[in-house]
Amino acid sequence: MDEIEVHLNVNGLPRSVQTLPCSTLLEILRDKLDLTGTKEGCGVGDCGACVVLMDGQAVNACLVLAAQADGSEIITVEGLAQDGQLHPLQHYFAEKWALQCGFCTPGMIMSCYALLLNNPNPSPDEIREAIAGNLCRCGSYQGVVEAVLATAKISAETRHD
Amino acid sequence: MTDFSVIGKPANANRSREIVTGQARYCPDIRLPGMLVGKLLYPKIPCARITRLDVTAARMLPGVVTVLTARDIPGENSYLYALPADQPLLVLDVVRYQGDALVAVAAETEEAAQAALDAVQVEYEPLVGVYDVLEAMKPNAHQVWSDRGNVCDHLVIDHGDIEAGFKQADVIIENTFYTPLVEHAFMETEGAVAYPDAATMVVYSSCQAPHRDRMQIARSLGMPENRVRVITPHIGGAFGGKDEAHVQIHAALLAQASGHPVRLIRSREESILTHVKRHPVIIRYRSGITRDGKLTALHAEAIGDTGPYLNAGRDVMNFVASTLSGPYFVPNARLEAYTVFTNNPICGAMRGYGIPQASFAYEAQMDLLARAIGMDPLEMRMRNGLETGMQVPTGVTIREGRGMKVCLQEAAQLSGWKEHEKENRRPAPHLRRGWGMASIWFSIGMGRNITDHAAATLEMTLDGSVILLTGAADMGQGAHTALAQIAAEAIGVNLDAVKVVTPDTDRTFDAGPSVASRQTFISGNAVLRAAQPIRDALLQTANEITGFPINILQLREGLVLAEGEVLSLTMAELAAKAAQRNRSLHADGFYAMEYPEQLPPNSYRYAPAVYTYGTQVAQVLVDIETGQVTIEKLVAVQDAGKVINPGGARGQIEGGVIMGLGYALMEELLVDQGSTQNPNLGTYLIPTAKDVPELTVKIMEIPEPYAPFGAKGLGEPPLTPTAPAILNAVVDAIGIPLYRIPLTPERILAAIDSQRAENPENGN
Repeated sequence: MDEIEVHLNVNGLPRSVQTLPCSTLLEILRDKLDLTGTKEGCGVGDCGACVVLMDGQAVNACLVLAAQADGSEIITVEGLAQDGQLHPLQHYFAEKWALQCGFCTPGMIMSCYALLLNNPNPSPDEIREAIAGNLCRCGSYQGVVEAVLATAKISAETRHD
Repeated sequence: MTDFSVIGKPANANRSREIVTGQARYCPDIRLPGMLVGKLLYPKIPCARITRLDVTAARMLPGVVTVLTARDIPGENSYLYALPADQPLLVLDVVRYQGDALVAVAAETEEAAQAALDAVQVEYEPLVGVYDVLEAMKPNAHQVWSDRGNVCDHLVIDHGDIEAGFKQADVIIENTFYTPLVEHAFMETEGAVAYPDAATMVVYSSCQAPHRDRMQIARSLGMPENRVRVITPHIGGAFGGKDEAHVQIHAALLAQASGHPVRLIRSREESILTHVKRHPVIIRYRSGITRDGKLTALHAEAIGDTGPYLNAGRDVMNFVASTLSGPYFVPNARLEAYTVFTNNPICGAMRGYGIPQASFAYEAQMDLLARAIGMDPLEMRMRNGLETGMQVPTGVTIREGRGMKVCLQEAAQLSGWKEHEKENRRPAPHLRRGWGMASIWFSIGMGRNITDHAAATLEMTLDGSVILLTGAADMGQGAHTALAQIAAEAIGVNLDAVKVVTPDTDRTFDAGPSVASRQTFISGNAVLRAAQPIRDALLQTANEITGFPINILQLREGLVLAEGEVLSLTMAELAAKAAQRNRSLHADGFYAMEYPEQLPPNSYRYAPAVYTYGTQVAQVLVDIETGQVTIEKLVAVQDAGKVINPGGARGQIEGGVIMGLGYALMEELLVDQGSTQNPNLGTYLIPTAKDVPELTVKIMEIPEPYAPFGAKGLGEPPLTPTAPAILNAVVDAIGIPLYRIPLTPERILAAIDSQRAENPENGN
């Protein structure tokens, strides 16, 4: 099979990769770009460990084919902290113990990030809905809800300043 | 010491910054130059004789570097978790379950590795197999092993005189309970990366027992143990499923044979099909009780389907037996456990280690007993609950037993147990509301006559910062954070002054496996022992410099104090002065589980010493048209001894409850003739954020005298009361006894339908 060239903007940087058309966005990120923060938990869209933002929408990177991703803007967990400063979501995920083993955390954070882009002030139920596709076997869901609420609160305060 | 500066204070998880930024490296994230992809071939049928296994074609394929069969293993071709070491790494003659590996390959790409597996020629002569545990116990059943019998182990724990006990009973009831085969579903599947480095084989292993891994890898590679180095990277959950080795030995064999780094990661489907599970257990109970609610006798018999290999199966079933009497005083008991071989998936360690099965059954039975004599379940539990000084059937006398009734009363209080009767039990014609409670006891540590010790090493540097070296694996449960807090408190520095060197068998010493909720207790005690001589050296030096007597000097939060006044002497100065005076600022601590009390003759050989307790109360709503159960509220009260880290403790309790909720309502691996029918997370369902109800968690701190700062383990106990509490609530809601989890809508509807068939005039 011939490789194709795929152009992406990943975490603000233009990237182009040679890849098989049947490869997935997850494989491109992890194997071609060495962005291993995005995890593979199942490879078939059941677990949400590989959630990234594609053109502002949360997607399971394991279900996006290379050609579908061509030309899109991708944000991964590595793209959130700026100049060594954690994004508030990252800060509150740690502080609220929204994580234990941490394997689901990158996908979980990206689902929450996507939620806050579209809904800056979500209710606990809306948060649970937004992360319903992110499995966490350690069961840190309540911590995630609290981390998102704290992030929304601090973001609102910052906006009003 | 009661005024802590680090213990019990909020602290982020060790390495949480790496996790939230995506920098944390788990096995699948490790990249090494020239690294090959490893893969294993699994059989197409779960029970067969192999008549031909030909790898010639596979070896010829482009990109394929190494193809190994059982014949190519230089050392022992077996796992070694328990003796006899009956499970081969690669099977040569007989396939005994779907997860047996036949061939290991290493290739340049994933595609080439898969092509190699596809090119292996295997011919099978199918064997009939045995897939039902009760069938397997019959004399003419298919024998999983020609020379061992299908009943691998039968344990009997006898206590008192059960015949006399049943004579004292006013009511005797008998029931049989059933628990499902359950999957760990850790989010990171099993994996390892191995590479030869000079004369040493280095193995990154997603595991719970790095030092046991080292022993097993060395044994199979035919190398001395000091030439194998096992390192744990970040580990994405384990829950018992990474206690026994999985693919790390295979990865090391492939690296040894190829001379290249090899990464071997199981796919999700491979993971579910191969690794050990939580035993499905059938538990028969016969209990005698007086009219006023006192238990007089108990005969309980548990039968566990352990699959074809020993693994931890016998040990888990022994835990079932030793727990079957529950947190209650039972004067006369016979507790039995059968460990039975079949050709189903292997069962072994999973969070709870047999105790979830036992707890489910004894708590369901407790409610049925209460119902039989018309007593409130809370009252029933209060009348029989364990107390300090009572002897339990294993021969142990409880040395700290307040937790049972303290948790029970607190849970009753928090859940408004006594006010339930005022609430609406029928909020709509198709809805029934109910309440249920369950209390548990849980042993910490592996048990008497079982190796159970840990080492830890501490060093204070010349600027007053501390290095903690631990061989204890942290799979997410927070062991490293808790151990760092214990070290900081014990030496007298701030938590951020402690760096944790995580397990690396070339640098850290054996802390035993991270199982049995033992690391806070056992490694925690080892850290305390390592801290003592360092603290002594610092205090001695401070005494010499300042002239203040040692008994008024204090080290705390990195400061030196005399009678509570902060001195100008800094910890860095103190450390440097101590070193100048030729005092050692590093120390190893070693702790082995203590069993100071003598048991009566013929007691259960593995009886544990330390117990923790908990009670949960569930409020449920059952839709009698659809069979759907909604958990409206769940109150969890757990004895923790002393909380080391509030965030971690909460995570362990909430996470345990959520796993228990899955056990109660949805989780069951469906196995047909040895083949798993739901080997992915789309068909094997675990709780999502939307399945979790309002949780009320309360931790009771009843210090354990032998524990570091009083802290007991917390990893496993919180999941055990959840399923029986939910079952009891559902039974309360629909008024029909239930004996089997998970409580799927189909099962609930079937129970309602059969009740209707029996009592057609009863509209319920």
